[in-house]
Amino acid sequence: MGFIQEYLFNNFEPSRTSVRIPVVTLIPLVAFGYTFLNSEDATSFLRKRIRARKKMSSSPFNNEALDLVCRLENVQGIVDALTSVKWKKLQDAVIELSEHGIVLIVEETGCLQAKVYLKRELFVSYEYTAEGRPRFGLSLGLFIDCLNMFSTAVEIRYPGSDMQLILKSVGSQYACAYAEIRTRIPETISWDCDFEPTGGVPVTFTIKSAGLKEAIDDLEWPGSSIQIILNPDPPTVTFRGDGHGDLQIDLPYFPNSDLFMAFQCRHPVSFRYKYKFLQATTANFPNNVIKDNRGSKLTIGRGGMLKVQHLVTVAKSGSHNEYRGYQQPGRIAYIEFYLKPEEEESIHDS
Amino acid sequence: MKFKAFLTDNGVNLLEKRFVPSLDKIGRICHMYLTRDHVFLLHNLLNSDGIQSIAQFRKEALFEEYRISSQNDDCIAFTIDLGLLHRALRSSLSIAGGERRQIKLVKKLSAGCTNQPMPFLTFETKGYKSALIQDVPISKPLSRTDVLELQASLDTTQDLPQTLVQVPDLNQFQHQVDRLKHIGDLLDVSITQYGDLHLHVSTTLATVGTEFRKLRILGVQANIPDGSEGLSARTRTEQAIQRGEALSVQVSIKHFLKSLQCHLTKPNAAFYGIAPQGACLTAIFQFFIPGTQQTDRSISLHCRLPVLDTGSG
Repeated sequence: MGFIQEYLFNNFEPSRTSVRIPVVTLIPLVAFGYTFLNSEDATSFLRKRIRARKKMSSSPFNNEALDLVCRLENVQGIVDALTSVKWKKLQDAVIELSEHGIVLIVEETGCLQAKVYLKRELFVSYEYTAEGRPRFGLSLGLFIDCLNMFSTAVEIRYPGSDMQLILKSVGSQYACAYAEIRTRIPETISWDCDFEPTGGVPVTFTIKSAGLKEAIDDLEWPGSSIQIILNPDPPTVTFRGDGHGDLQIDLPYFPNSDLFMAFQCRHPVSFRYKYKFLQATTANFPNNVIKDNRGSKLTIGRGGMLKVQHLVTVAKSGSHNEYRGYQQPGRIAYIEFYLKPEEEESIHDS
Repeated sequence: MKFKAFLTDNGVNLLEKRFVPSLDKIGRICHMYLTRDHVFLLHNLLNSDGIQSIAQFRKEALFEEYRISSQNDDCIAFTIDLGLLHRALRSSLSIAGGERRQIKLVKKLSAGCTNQPMPFLTFETKGYKSALIQDVPISKPLSRTDVLELQASLDTTQDLPQTLVQVPDLNQFQHQVDRLKHIGDLLDVSITQYGDLHLHVSTTLATVGTEFRKLRILGVQANIPDGSEGLSARTRTEQAIQRGEALSVQVSIKHFLKSLQCHLTKPNAAFYGIAPQGACLTAIFQFFIPGTQQTDRSISLHCRLPVLDTGSG
């Protein structure tokens, strides 16, 4: 007995070298961006592309064979942005790559769609060489979990030899983390939300994100269907829920109020939306979105299509980009939700 | 069969603040094994399911006036609920001026069972103005055969891997592994003789891994081969396995995380190694004599994780 202590006692020498633990970074992704007539075309295309990739490079890290190589200094802001559009456990997402950045799209039964725009300025470096706009599908939850692996800087590459999305930490010679996420051809062409502004003055209001979330959370009690009413005189936004009970939340607009930042509406407008979809637009706000409490902009388009836009700060860790409340646009991720109305019951839809 | 001793201040703090809460996270029920010179807290030694943990204390590390006698070569073993033990230790610390904390094995008639006396580990704490007696229920002491089996099993756990690598920062390491558990349930662990520790989770949807390089090595080591710097972690590990300079095993990520819970015991260093033939993954925690960098030989803690796939082993 006591052999292990003896072993450690005899073999252990106090610190010879300092050992550092991994530092990780993170970020973007890429995809196909082609439209296929049927799954055979897609499969055939994919096989050819994989063969071509393997031929071009025996190593998945040969930059010349990649559509996208980009680097993120810190993943947290992007994780926050992606988490904002994850409203269920198993959720597929489509990623679209372009020279301008990365767009992630998720949707639900053709009634709700969300997009996260990650502009190229969010990345420390962004090398895009693909033609067209490649698209691919992956599991959103898995993507977030993989990004969370990286505590510091990350390099993102696409595609790997089997069309996978590759994440790899950079910056430490003593530790590294990596992730290879299998991608798939998107099963459906994502629902292109047909958002057209109403003619003339757009029907829109901008409200503090925390206030919007609080109002929507309160509407959980009646649940079911929520009516959003905008009245120009007096300028008011009303949320009305009737399901298990009735609840009406009136938010009167005053210039320079703490709650509203903008309000535009010339005619009364009213549409109903499913509560579960409306809730999805704010339910997964990360804490720092509430803390920042930037404005959320809601716009009602033709036919009652509701667009909800949020901004998420993706600041560099340890950097101070804010000057008197101004944040560089490059450090912001844009999130948009599109909700179809339940029924067209517009009072006046100009 | 008799056991009576007084817990020292250091002993009660060691147990209450460090070891019992940590071991409780590995498993609520454990064996307490008392011998003439040592006290052990053991998990899963008499069955092969789950992670085995072996915490060993020299009697002086915990007790004074340590008296034990039994017909089984003065060895006594029983199972105990670590949650209850922790509560008793915490209460005993709360008694103002409680300098004498006696612990002894007793048989008593309990309130729920009037026919037969039940075994208890009784804590008696005397303070300035109050005294506290707590009875922690324990199992019937193990039979001679079971104690021999426990001792035999304990002896086999002393086998050491040929190569041990030191994990740099247990908290950060735990954080990293914690994130891997969201990806999958099975963890491939590879340890090379160059001091590399490679953790890898693979599912049908993703392959995720993390590698720590050039860690401190105890035991057999080898020089890093030329030309390996530019290779990926997986390629390097595969090549090392082919050269016979690394071992790889697959374990449950839950077991691995449980082994990391031992950081609550506040070890000064932690080492991981793979037993020959990939028999198990071993985690060894090292404690220094306070204020020094000398190994405290009165305390030892190590875990053995069952292997699901022996991989290269």
